[in-house]
Amino acid sequence: MMHCRDRQPLARNARPAGVLALVLLTLVLAGCASTPQLAESTEHELPRRALLEDIPFHGQRDYQCGPASLAMVLNASGVPAKVDTLIPQVFLPGREGSVQPEMLGTVRRHGRIPFRIRGSLDALLTEIDAGHPVVVMQNLSLPAWPVWHYAVAIGFDLDEETLILHSGMEPERVESFKRFDATWARSDRWAFVALPPGEMPATGDSKAALDAIADFERVQGAKAALPAWDAFVARHPTHAMGHFALGNARHASGDSQGAIEAFENAVRADPELAVAWLNLGLLHRELGEGDKAHEALQRAAAIAGSWQEQARQALDDLKTGGE
Amino acid sequence: MMKKICRYLSPLLIAALVLGSLPVAAAPASPGSGLVTTQDALNVERTQGDRERIHEILARDDVQEQLVAQGVDPAEVEARVAALSDAEAAQMADQLEQLPAGASVVGALFAVFVILLVTDILGLTNVFPFTR
Repeated sequence: MMHCRDRQPLARNARPAGVLALVLLTLVLAGCASTPQLAESTEHELPRRALLEDIPFHGQRDYQCGPASLAMVLNASGVPAKVDTLIPQVFLPGREGSVQPEMLGTVRRHGRIPFRIRGSLDALLTEIDAGHPVVVMQNLSLPAWPVWHYAVAIGFDLDEETLILHSGMEPERVESFKRFDATWARSDRWAFVALPPGEMPATGDSKAALDAIADFERVQGAKAALPAWDAFVARHPTHAMGHFALGNARHASGDSQGAIEAFENAVRADPELAVAWLNLGLLHRELGEGDKAHEALQRAAAIAGSWQEQARQALDDLKTGGE
Repeated sequence: MMKKICRYLSPLLIAALVLGSLPVAAAPASPGSGLVTTQDALNVERTQGDRERIHEILARDDVQEQLVAQGVDPAEVEARVAALSDAEAAQMADQLEQLPAGASVVGALFAVFVILLVTDILGLTNVFPFTR
């Protein structure tokens, strides 16, 4: 008896619970299954269809869609990397696959800059239209039994609502927007383009591009990154950090006058950018231009923050050195 | 007895590790001419604490070991880790096991097969090439 009484409330709740579960399941399925909508502006700007025809295809062997996808985008941007060279550079035998950070790292090793792009179909199609093949990560299966997969998006058809990808063993595979987006969404819509220094992605904000170039510079050095900073400044002329970075790259490449010009542009774009005043002062000091160094260092020392101490120190050094 | 040894040994070990990591943390902050590098400036802009910096620098050693454990040729490991950004290296060190790796295998359970077949047909997944 006791048991029955105990169980009764449970049984009473069972039916609503079941109904709720069904409704939720339907909602989830319906939610996933809808075809993604493009923003109106994207619809206007993009051609009805596009296909990057000169992207070489490399069929994947075993689990090596990572190296194969990398080979395709690297070849497309003029790096003659072979799949066999890329396998030991990116493939993880223990995981029978390749992980995202190393996909980006390998692009850097081959002298190209990996720019992550925003996770939206609009950004993806805009990049393709700009001539940039896009590496995408998909989970072809469900979250509980993932089948992670890299492919290269190379074309689209807005009327048919289809995307064209070099994927797995299949060149120019046609996938509906709906199915592609459902599988892409499970990787949080992870995607990147691999571009030579000097070329900028067609989408994305300045901060993301700045970080991407700075990470590339750390691996490949200032000289290799110089054209990328030039392109960045041309695209975002009011971004003070961009001018600052360009100044550093020019200085490291031996162009002191160009560096001073860039640092001056940086403080013109943002007079509160203490680190740019600091580098401007340090560089003037290095060139033996005491007055100008003094002026810039004083500006840096007047701005509260992480660089104040270093600026004051340099100012003191300048005084004692001058006497 | 063991406890006592540990009590004295732990602070010593901690101190040794911290001291050992300091020169590593200081090393990349010195470019040739004394100018502040773009990378350092960005790190400060991100208001990244010293502790995080040290963590990221130590992460690279950690990742090297993990990659060797995953079967990567030791001759390749150094170059692979060097190509990562600080944030990526830290991510690899912290969660290599959880990171999705492109191209793994599905558990070949029949129930899973049926579910995936249905979701494939619904256009939610893309496991089987014969469903379009």
